[in-house]
Amino acid sequence: MNPDAFDAAVAALTRVQGVRGAMVVEAETGVPVTAELAAGVDGGPLAALAASLFQRAGRATAAGSMGALTAVQLEAAGGHVVMAGAGPLVVVAIAESDAQLGMIRVEAERAAAGLR
Amino acid sequence: MTRPVTADLQRWSQEVASDPGSLSFLPLARAYRRQGQRDAALNLCLRGLEAHPMNLEGHGLLALLYLEAGDRERAADEWSMVLRLDPGNFDALRGLGFCYLETGELERSRQHLEAAALTRPADPAVREALQLLRQRQEARRVMAAPDRFGGTAGAGLGAAAPAGAAAAEVAPVPRPSPLAQEAEAAPAGTAGTAGTAGGDAVLADDPTRLFDAVMRGPVLGALLLDAQGLILAGALREPAGASAEGLGAGLGDAVEEAARTAEHLSLGAWEGILLHTEAAMLHLAPAPGDTVVVLAARRDAPVGWVMRGAARARELASRFLESYA
Repeated sequence: MNPDAFDAAVAALTRVQGVRGAMVVEAETGVPVTAELAAGVDGGPLAALAASLFQRAGRATAAGSMGALTAVQLEAAGGHVVMAGAGPLVVVAIAESDAQLGMIRVEAERAAAGLR
Repeated sequence: MTRPVTADLQRWSQEVASDPGSLSFLPLARAYRRQGQRDAALNLCLRGLEAHPMNLEGHGLLALLYLEAGDRERAADEWSMVLRLDPGNFDALRGLGFCYLETGELERSRQHLEAAALTRPADPAVREALQLLRQRQEARRVMAAPDRFGGTAGAGLGAAAPAGAAAAEVAPVPRPSPLAQEAEAAPAGTAGTAGTAGGDAVLADDPTRLFDAVMRGPVLGALLLDAQGLILAGALREPAGASAEGLGAGLGDAVEEAARTAEHLSLGAWEGILLHTEAAMLHLAPAPGDTVVVLAARRDAPVGWVMRGAARARELASRFLESYA
């Protein structure tokens, strides 16, 4: 995979209104591949947590025979985290609380599809 | 219960590595278990018990690990060991009572469950198990009794067993909470099993039908999970082969990680999680008492519609929980 593809995926996501950071993470190890985050956001732990959340949610849906996990959207009072699976990678976007979540999820899934 | 921090894990690991006889194997194994690293926890327990063969908590934890791995026989062995060391140990009495109930050793099950009930009469899981035990004993009695044609009541279709007798023979046995032994301070009712917390009244109301009002259109099912991922109420009707218990157990882990992620990003408490899979869409929402409401819908369901259904399911769950708080 061309390393520019990772940067392009992240750049496309951060252009969406309300997105304040994005990254591509190794799903298995939780290691960030590339990231564009707001100042003050520690990408290392975030990558590990996001990958772990995606993995665990994926194990849960598999255990429940609900099919393979494709995307996760975490909603909280202060903002949202949107994740889309791209094979061994996970595309992660951090969004403001009033962001257009539908648009962000579509962009995250598009970015993920480009990395598969 | 306070969760161990990374520094604790490192310290315990170092202590166990430098001194195989260190009692730090116990908190470290518990932490591994919570993280889902059950093999590591099991190995630690086994090694720790070599140095401390009389350690009560070690045997209790090992019993839970074996039970979670599906090895009921070894779990029963470990709980038996706990009872040799501490004959009145509640967790071991309850665990063995469940094991014997599952294997059909009803008299032994009764002895252990009644002893557990003497220690904690209000424990909902023990109460439910005793109720199930009585149903099974009654079912056996009826099945074994000769009918007026000289056969036995269970010998053919249309036999005269009382309603529920056959069901009692095959109904799933409640299990101790995965964290039962570590949750000594937990209030009564949190360590129970599906549908137990409300006692007989809730069982009579059939908690699997709690979410009937939202089971329309693309909704595949809805569940109310306790903090350990055990099902308190609700059911999944689709897709074929879906396992509500498997889903619930796994989602408990995912919710913990979601909370940590939100905290790391200073986003405040999590309010919802939407999962998209190849077959379905699932919405998770926090509910009172550290419970979680899960609404499952078809993958092609409109997201906004699913969110509204989830909000309605949360209301139903809150009322259900309030009704026997």
